Order: sequence, then C-alpha cells, then structure tokens
Amino acid sequence: MELYVPILILAVLAAGFAIFSVGIAPFTGPARWNRAKLDAYECGIEPTPQPVGGGRFPLKYMITAMLFIVFDIEIIFLYPWAVAFDQLGLFGLVEMVLFIVTVLVAYAYVWRRRGLDWD
Amino acid sequence: MTTHYLVLSALLFTIGGIGVLVRRNAIVVFMSVELMLNSCNLAFVAFSRMHGNLDGQLMAFFVMVVAAAEVVVGLAIIVTIFRTRRSASVDDANLLKY
Amino acid sequence: MISAPTIEYLEIAPLLLVFGAAIIGVLVEAFAPRHLRSAFHIPLTLLAIAGAFVLTVLLAVDKTRTVAVMGALAIDGTTLFLWGTILVLAFISVLLMNDEGQFVAQAAAVPGSAEEQEAVLEGQAQTEVYPLALFAIGGMLIFPASNDLLMLFVALEVMSLPLYLLCGLARRRRLLSQEAAVKYFLLGAFSSGFLLYGIAMLYGYAGSLDLAKISAALGTVSGMDPLLVLGTALLGVGMLFKIGAAPFQAWKPDVYQGAPTPVTALMASGTLVAAFGALLRVFWVALGNLDWDWSPILWGVAILTMVIGVILAITQTDIKRMLAYSSIAHAGFLLTAFVATGGPEQNRVALSSILFYLAAYGVTTVGAFAVVTMVRDTGGEAGHLSRWAGLGKRSPILAGVFAFFLLAFAGIPLTSGFLGKYAVFQAAVAGGATPLVIVGVVTSAIAAFFYARVIVLMFFSEPAADGPVIAAPTVGTALVVALAATVTVVLGVLPQPMLDLAGAAARSLFVY
Repeated sequence: MELYVPILILAVLAAGFAIFSVGIAPFTGPARWNRAKLDAYECGIEPTPQPVGGGRFPLKYMITAMLFIVFDIEIIFLYPWAVAFDQLGLFGLVEMVLFIVTVLVAYAYVWRRRGLDWD
Repeated sequence: MTTHYLVLSALLFTIGGIGVLVRRNAIVVFMSVELMLNSCNLAFVAFSRMHGNLDGQLMAFFVMVVAAAEVVVGLAIIVTIFRTRRSASVDDANLLKY
Repeated sequence: MISAPTIEYLEIAPLLLVFGAAIIGVLVEAFAPRHLRSAFHIPLTLLAIAGAFVLTVLLAVDKTRTVAVMGALAIDGTTLFLWGTILVLAFISVLLMNDEGQFVAQAAAVPGSAEEQEAVLEGQAQTEVYPLALFAIGGMLIFPASNDLLMLFVALEVMSLPLYLLCGLARRRRLLSQEAAVKYFLLGAFSSGFLLYGIAMLYGYAGSLDLAKISAALGTVSGMDPLLVLGTALLGVGMLFKIGAAPFQAWKPDVYQGAPTPVTALMASGTLVAAFGALLRVFWVALGNLDWDWSPILWGVAILTMVIGVILAITQTDIKRMLAYSSIAHAGFLLTAFVATGGPEQNRVALSSILFYLAAYGVTTVGAFAVVTMVRDTGGEAGHLSRWAGLGKRSPILAGVFAFFLLAFAGIPLTSGFLGKYAVFQAAVAGGATPLVIVGVVTSAIAAFFYARVIVLMFFSEPAADGPVIAAPTVGTALVVALAATVTVVLGVLPQPMLDLAGAAARSLFVY
C-alpha cells in the first residue's frame, strides 16, 4: 500500500491547488462585469444564433489551432522517455533537452512573428 | 485476433483513398488522406501486438507527429489558395494542364 | 532493462551540420531585423552546405562503411557518393535562390491586393526560403541513407514538407505557383499514405522495420505472402511517385512549371537523386531476394515512363513543362539499370552506372533551369517556347550554353549525358534487360527530336520584335551556369575520374 502514498499526495495537492485558486479569486482579482462574461462559454466563438450555413470564422482561430496541434503533438516523445528516464540516464536527459530546445526555437519564431498575438 | 484490426484498418484506408478520389473540396480531400495515415497507425499497432515488439507502436508515434506537421503545412497552403480564389474546390485549380 | 542507444556523431556530422544551420536560420528569422536577414542567411546556408560537403569527403577518404545510430542509417560508399552529389546540387540551387526576383515578398498577402503592393514597395522578402531549403536538403540526405523504414518515412516527410511550401512562393504568376503547391501537397500526401501502408504490411510480414531483418525474413517467414506482396507494391507506389515514374508522373509537369525556378532546380536534381538512392536501397537490400517478383512490374514501369516522358514532351509549349517531361523520361532511363539486377558483380556495375548518371544529369538540370531564370518577359520568366525564338541571334552565348545542356539531355557524345546513358544501358544489357535498352534507345532518338526542335527555334528563326529580355545574371546565376556547363563538358570528355569514383562507391554495394 505504501507504493500508492505518493499518488495520494499528488491527488491531494492537485485538489488543494484547484480549491485554493477558485477560492482566492473573488478576494484578489478585480471584479469587472460585462456582457461577454455573462455569455455561455464557447471557446471565444459568438454563441448562437449563428449565420445560416454555420458562417465563416476568422483565420486567427485556425492559426491558433494549428500552432496548438503542432506543439501539443511534440509532447508525445516525452512519454516514452518519461517511462524509462531512469534507465536511459544522462544520455536520455541530454537528448531530451536538445529536443525541447529545438521545439523552443520554433516557439521563439512564432512568438517573434506575433503568431501568438490575437490582434 | 489481429485479422479484425487489419480488416478495420483496410476498410479505413479504402474509405480514405476513395475520399481522396471522389471529393472535390481540398480540405475534405486532405481529411481523407489523414484517415489513410491513421488506418496505417491502426495496422502498425495491431502488428506490434501480434509480433510482441514495440517497433510498430514507435512508428505510430512518428506517424502522428508527421501527420500533425502535414496538417499545418497543408492547411497553410489550402488557406492561401482559398484566399486568392475564394474557393477550395480542387476542380477550380485548373491553370496548369497538359 | 533498456540501455541507452549509441550515436555515431562523427559519421552523421554532415546531417547535423545541415540541420543545425537550418535551426540557426529559424532563429535568424525570429530575432534579426528584416533588412539584415538575407545577409545572414546566404552565407550561413552556403557555408553549411559546403561544410557538410567537406565532412562527406573526409568520411569518404576515411573509407567509412558502417551502420550508424542503432541501425537507422547506413553510411556506405553509395550513401557518401549520393550525399556529395546532393550537396553539390543543393549548393548551386541555393546560389540560384539568391535572386530577389524569384520569391514572393509576402506569402500571406493575397495576389493583386494592396497588402501585396505595400510589401513589394517596402522591399520585404520571404527569407524563410533559406531555412526551408536547408530542412529539405537535410531530408534529402537522410532519405537515401535510411536503413530502416521508420527513418525512410520520416526522411521522406522532412524532405517533402518544406518543398510543398517552397513551391507556393513564386513572386510572379502567383496563382500558378499556389496551384502547384496545392497539387503537389495533395498528391504527395496521398502517395505517402500508400507508402506508409506498404511499410505497415512489410512490418506485419517481417516483424521489424529494419531493412536487413526484412531481407532475412524473406527466407524464413512462410504463410504471410499476401502481406509481403501488398507491402512491396504499396511501398513501390509511394517511392515511384517521388521519382516521377509513370503512371505516377502526373504531378511533375504541373509542379515544375508552377514552382519558382530555383526550387524546381532543387526538386528536379536533389529530390530525384535522393529518391532514387532510397529506391535502390529498399528494393536491393530489403527486397533484393524478391527481384523475380518485382522486376517484371518495374520493367513495365520503366517502359511506360520512358515512352510517356518523351511522347508528351514533344507536345509541350512551355519550356519548364518540357524539361519536366524530359526529367520523367530520364527517370525511365535510370530504371533500366535499376531492374538489371543479378550477381554481386552485375549489381556493382549497375549501381555505379546509376550513380554516375544521377550526378551528371543533376548538374546539367540545374544549369538548364538557371538559364530559364534569365530569359524574361515583363511578367516574369518567358516560359512559352515561342518566346525563345531567335534567342541565338540576340544572345548567342546564353542560347549556346542552353543548346549544349539540351544536347547533354539528348545524350550526344562528348557530353556527360552520353556517357551516363551509355553506362546505364550497358549495365542493363549485361543484366539481361536488352528489350528495355531497345525501348530506351528508340525513345532517346525521339527525345533528341524535341531537344533539337528547341535548338532550331533558338538559332534559325527570326527573333520577335518584342522578344524577351535577357536579365543580367546575378553573380550566383552566372556561376551556376558556368559551373554546370564546365561539369557537363568535363564529365563528357574526361569522365574517368568520376567513373572511378562511382565505381569505388559502388564496390561494396550496401552495408546493412
């Protein structure tokens, strides 16, 4: 049973963080109400009614989605390493750092070219 | 057991292939290609289990990453031509021929 | 227990250099101010390619013959020869790119819009072409060296994805360019789907992605022949698409015509060399013992490729489309030696002839496209053949050089094209593919007709009053044309050193 204690601690930490964040927000954040905040949450899309045929979305959504997919999928290579990082030792760590650095180069390019700006 | 997965994979591959050939919207054509790639992934994982080694699963990882990169490149190209022509139909792209 | 893999950094140093430079190129794009970017990119790109070439030569001098990176890459004579060839071709193609009139000012601006005009007036440039080209070149280097099918697939995509983008970046005739990019992308992705399913079937058959293990499985695994046959066929479709063999050639003319000409030069030379190297390795190493099964089909493919290439080339009215069909025909000529497998001695001869042909053809191709960039109308390059009428009277040197390149394509003696073709056909006859050689000779004769037609047009017809302008070549373009012409002559007159080199590269065939 002792093996499960770290998992339990992790669960408690996660729950604690969530409760803490939600609980402290009303006291620390500024309270400004506007129409957008009261609308149903739909990932930034105008809620219904939409134009006939679904309407067209600004290209900004697509760029954000594409950037998300690319950076999201890269994480896949961390999983095999995470399973065996203790056996791969320093070599695995160095290679993973190199991998993350190359991904960061792409990120720096996107950031400098204002791919992350909304307007 | 593996046979079932292979049959499903072959069906998905065929659906994707037919989609590429009969659909006219470049985005849908491209989605069909993605379906083909994912049917390959299913075959890889099924074979990986059959042979009891991890090569196939590893391959599936790489295929997913490559497919994501292909999505980004492909959508960029398709959006560019759509903005020029106001159409994503592969039939409208007909300046280059013979 | 998993042990950490070993990586032979020294043996793969050329790859690391090219990819490292590409990543630095992305950083330059991110952080350098706009007006300084090309000043960084051009030396960086050229130095990286030249450095990789030097490293390749050092490896060759060292007689490196090894399987590197846990069996993923095979660094042998063939690989090193192809690396050297690709790097030379890449170097001269990048020299062609160094011409501001070729690439779009801002790819995101709609053609004909106010934003586009603004971008042109501001002198913007899409300098991403240099890192993109480096990534594509890196993919080309891995492709013929890949010793397992995982590496093969990844290399194929690393090579293709930047090329899809580069195709859409022409400055003039942007609609054609974008259309070429869409067609190349959709068809390329479709073909890589087939390739991947083929890999899956072969993996199912052999239980491994390693070429050597697949080869070993051919003798031991029984009862799974459908997987093997299906896998070989689908893999073949994917790879034949990349070299543009019939019936998978349809993309080539459209893409070659629409793409910016320096990119066309890179695709027509580098991609062909890389894809042919990969085709050789997969079919000779992994499926070599199966040649009784695939050889008849590839005979048919070779004949179809040669015939379709030359017949359709005759009907072309655009110079770049004509060169594209000519490139299809040349892929067919190469296939004649490819199917002529036999004992080790025969394979050695066939391999060295293919290597020589690839090097000779690649350099001439880049030279020919370099000339195409210089003949211009008001709206960009003068693609239509009628515009080339009388060029020999207006600009005898340029027309003469172009005529010489065409003669090399046709395989006239004293050019590199003749010796390449001779070597390939000789190997094919020795390997028992005499019928193919007969088709090859006949189609070569037909091909000579349409090359001669262009030469006659240039020298023996009156120039139009409003004929195209010969753009003053940039230093890079002039260098490329001069270099390509020199290599074409030298390989035609004094071919022995190069033949020896190709022979030495092919001596130990493939390591695996």
